[in-house]
Amino acid sequence: MKIYISGLYSGTNPQPGVGIARSLRLAYPDALLVGVEYSNRCSGIHWQDFDEIWLQRPWDELNLDAHAREIGRVLDAGAFYISAIDLEIMWLASVFPEGHPNLLTPPVEGLYQVSKPAIPAHEKLPVKIPPFVTTEISDWDLHAFCRKHDWKVWLKGPYYDAARTRNWTEFENMRNAFSSAWSTEKLFLQTHVTGYEESISFSAYKGELLHAVSMRKRDLTEMNKTWAGDVSVVPTEFYEPLCEVVKDLNWTGGAELEMVRDPDGQLWMIECNPRYPAWIHGATIAGHNMSAILVERASDVPAQKSPAVTDEFTRVVLEIPVHPEMPLPPLPEPFAGVVGHSLKHPSGLLGFANRLHGMNLNGQNGNGNGNGNGYGKLNGKELTIVPSSFMDDISDFDFEQIQTPSFLYLEKTASEHFNRAAKIAGNLSTEDVAVINAYSMKTNPDARLVQQAYEAGFLAEAISPLEVSKALEVGFKPEQIILNGPGKWWHKEHLPNEPIHAVFADSIADLQRVVAALESGELKAKIAGMRLRMPNIPSRFGIPIDTPELFGELIEAIKTLPRESGFGIHFHMASSSVGVGQWWHLFESMLKWCSSIEALAGRPIEILDIGGGWFPDDWHEGADEQFKKAVQSVGEYLPNVKQIISEPGKALAQPSMALAMRILEIQDFPNATDVVVDGSIAELPMYFFYPHRILHQNGETGSWKSLGRGKAYFLGRLCMEHDVVASHVELPETAKPGDLLVFCDAGAYDRSMSYVFGRG
Amino acid sequence: MSLDAVKTAFDTNEVNLVEIAAPFEKWQDFPVSRISHHGSVCCEVAREWLSAMDFSNLNGGSVMTGPRWIRQYYNWGPTRWQIHWCEAIKQNALDCGAQASLANEVFTVRGVESYPVQLVQQYSKEATQHWSQKWDGVETSTHWINEDLIYHEGCAVVMRDENEIKIWDASAGWWINPRQFGGYGGLRALRLFSGQHDAREFV
Ligand SMILES: [Zn+2]
Repeated sequence: MKIYISGLYSGTNPQPGVGIARSLRLAYPDALLVGVEYSNRCSGIHWQDFDEIWLQRPWDELNLDAHAREIGRVLDAGAFYISAIDLEIMWLASVFPEGHPNLLTPPVEGLYQVSKPAIPAHEKLPVKIPPFVTTEISDWDLHAFCRKHDWKVWLKGPYYDAARTRNWTEFENMRNAFSSAWSTEKLFLQTHVTGYEESISFSAYKGELLHAVSMRKRDLTEMNKTWAGDVSVVPTEFYEPLCEVVKDLNWTGGAELEMVRDPDGQLWMIECNPRYPAWIHGATIAGHNMSAILVERASDVPAQKSPAVTDEFTRVVLEIPVHPEMPLPPLPEPFAGVVGHSLKHPSGLLGFANRLHGMNLNGQNGNGNGNGNGYGKLNGKELTIVPSSFMDDISDFDFEQIQTPSFLYLEKTASEHFNRAAKIAGNLSTEDVAVINAYSMKTNPDARLVQQAYEAGFLAEAISPLEVSKALEVGFKPEQIILNGPGKWWHKEHLPNEPIHAVFADSIADLQRVVAALESGELKAKIAGMRLRMPNIPSRFGIPIDTPELFGELIEAIKTLPRESGFGIHFHMASSSVGVGQWWHLFESMLKWCSSIEALAGRPIEILDIGGGWFPDDWHEGADEQFKKAVQSVGEYLPNVKQIISEPGKALAQPSMALAMRILEIQDFPNATDVVVDGSIAELPMYFFYPHRILHQNGETGSWKSLGRGKAYFLGRLCMEHDVVASHVELPETAKPGDLLVFCDAGAYDRSMSYVFGRG
Repeated sequence: MSLDAVKTAFDTNEVNLVEIAAPFEKWQDFPVSRISHHGSVCCEVAREWLSAMDFSNLNGGSVMTGPRWIRQYYNWGPTRWQIHWCEAIKQNALDCGAQASLANEVFTVRGVESYPVQLVQQYSKEATQHWSQKWDGVETSTHWINEDLIYHEGCAVVMRDENEIKIWDASAGWWINPRQFGGYGGLRALRLFSGQHDAREFV
């Protein structure tokens, strides 16, 4: 009996070929095992159990038709072929659409049904698929997906490759890297599942499930690959539906279902690989010789039984002799002055993947795999939706009269947002608890926004006496002002003589200072309290409570607050950076801490000041219900609270301003277009933190177009290397120097943190 | 306290592999560790801190997640018994009994059914000799060590479907593998406490 086995890569992220050979050798000591490889750099070609090595040129050099004919001849001559390379398996399925009795790999339709991320075949199994989304939707929606899932997301390539992207900048960098490596924009983002990794591997022949085995990872490599594991039988509640799935898919060959078990015991399927896993010989050690079972069924030649040695296996690193007829290839020269050797995948799999794209074999089209259980709309390339109020506001400007770059105040948008916030607060207020908004001056101190806040009945939140004075100028009364942050004594001569609404200390030292100021009359406030620094989230603000000592100190310090003032707690965390789910957990956590503080310090908490740093969309979409529940929770944890101050922050300011700029120069390159603009990162310092929706005005027709993804880089006017205001943006064909661009969503920290540079 | 479901599952699934009488011999009357309460605000601050801290560290995750943060916060080392809540939480290091008590407390506050368990684990003479030297202080005891066996404590946590318990090893920061018995670090015996005076040994 002759058996071909491909996929012999044996690094720390190995292919299973060597494991299959070791297992088949136990079952068929006299079989002729032929290792198939596409690079002489794969160390598995030197493994002792192979009788022969069929060494091919790397995939990007290979004549696929000739190779297909050779494999056909080998199969016709009676040899079996077990592939352990995903891409080769896909290609073989297309070469042998009707299959071949000796080709022990699955058919095309089966492959479609297990392609990630949707893995349609999972539906009959007791597993769930983690939420995912294709990167073909707009950046705006991708950012929303990441926020919704607390940035616990993985960007994944079409076949291999996954990278955790913890923020927008990391996402953008990895997307560019993956897109160029795999020559496709069809990547996807998938949420992370916390838990323990386990797998099921099975053998099947023509739709008949021959055997399945379960493995829990017990030690991991740096890349989270198996280093040790324990093996057990698959429970009936999984085995029975698996039989049906295998039948439906008419599966032949090995497979691995990669899953994560969460703390509640739920299984989440991450991938279904159309081949045996690299740990397959671990199963053999435990008495489950999966590849032997497959060959036995296909050949009718009885396999020697492999008794179980133990149900746990682990790995070691071995040095083995190099086959004299396949000496080691030289290492490529390091690029001059560069650190390390740049080794591409030795067998040219990336190149092969690109050839497969052309053949459209991965089933990513038309099988509902595109957006599955994800989020957001699959937009055309050009469509990023811009709210109609933006267009309304923008059409009011006479751009002939505007010197660019220039911030545009979108008055109707601003007014709409502030009034809506006021209405929400009104609706949330109950007989016992008043809900009121506050405008954080630092978000954007533009007098027009401060005025909007004043007119909408907001309080003003200041981080310095200078901000207090600005609020007073606009018309706020002292009793409408809240003072917090570490800078409250800087320029204290601007503090009013009348009592302000509330003051929140930022540290124990600051609390002592506040107490002294209240007692001496230097500062008058109806409410005095402090900001809490929540454990487990990095922040420089507020009073830490993450050791029993600090918590004890806080309790003692609260007791020193003057009894004449009411007591309040201030909690601020940017939901746009920690994520929406995480924010709500922090909120509940804060309520728990407050409830302990109230009981232990013996001071009823009358006011809660809650800041969200909300991304505008998160504050709008379906948030009303969540807010209602939040107000209820406050009542349950803290029955003495009479007022909840909500500080929506950038949810209101961010959409209320845009930045207009003009194109100065356009330079085309074969794969990119450099567009120099008169705006810069001096006006858009937040560019790297979240996507900005961009509009282009056609110079001739005056019509506006929202820009999608493309190959243009918008380079700012500053002579600074990192002054790139947008990258991978579409540039309309009609664009020319002098055209207007409007960057929306620039009204929050873009505006308040913008700086003067390069103006002479 | 009704633990029928727990007992049934445990009897049938796992405990039949555990030897009981011999390993527990030395610790036949050893009580499970309990942290004392001064009956005043000092210990209340401590307990409030522990539970609020646990909620923060849950990070929005499932309440069935083992509170590994406790082991990350406290080193493993000798504890002088008797100890009170306000003293325990301010230590740099706590022994397995104290860590298991903290874990048991946070599971209970989370609304998860959890009970103290006494365990006997097997190590090697080399390992236990080192521990003997470390614990052989004036106010700490080496009574927990017996040749290559050690007395250990953890929490028996009832899973959501109530047909299964898992043993949280608080001072290791992991769940004890129900498929492993004996061997270095392996479990040799287990005693579960469902109430104050209601110790049960499973054979
Ligand atoms: Zn105490």
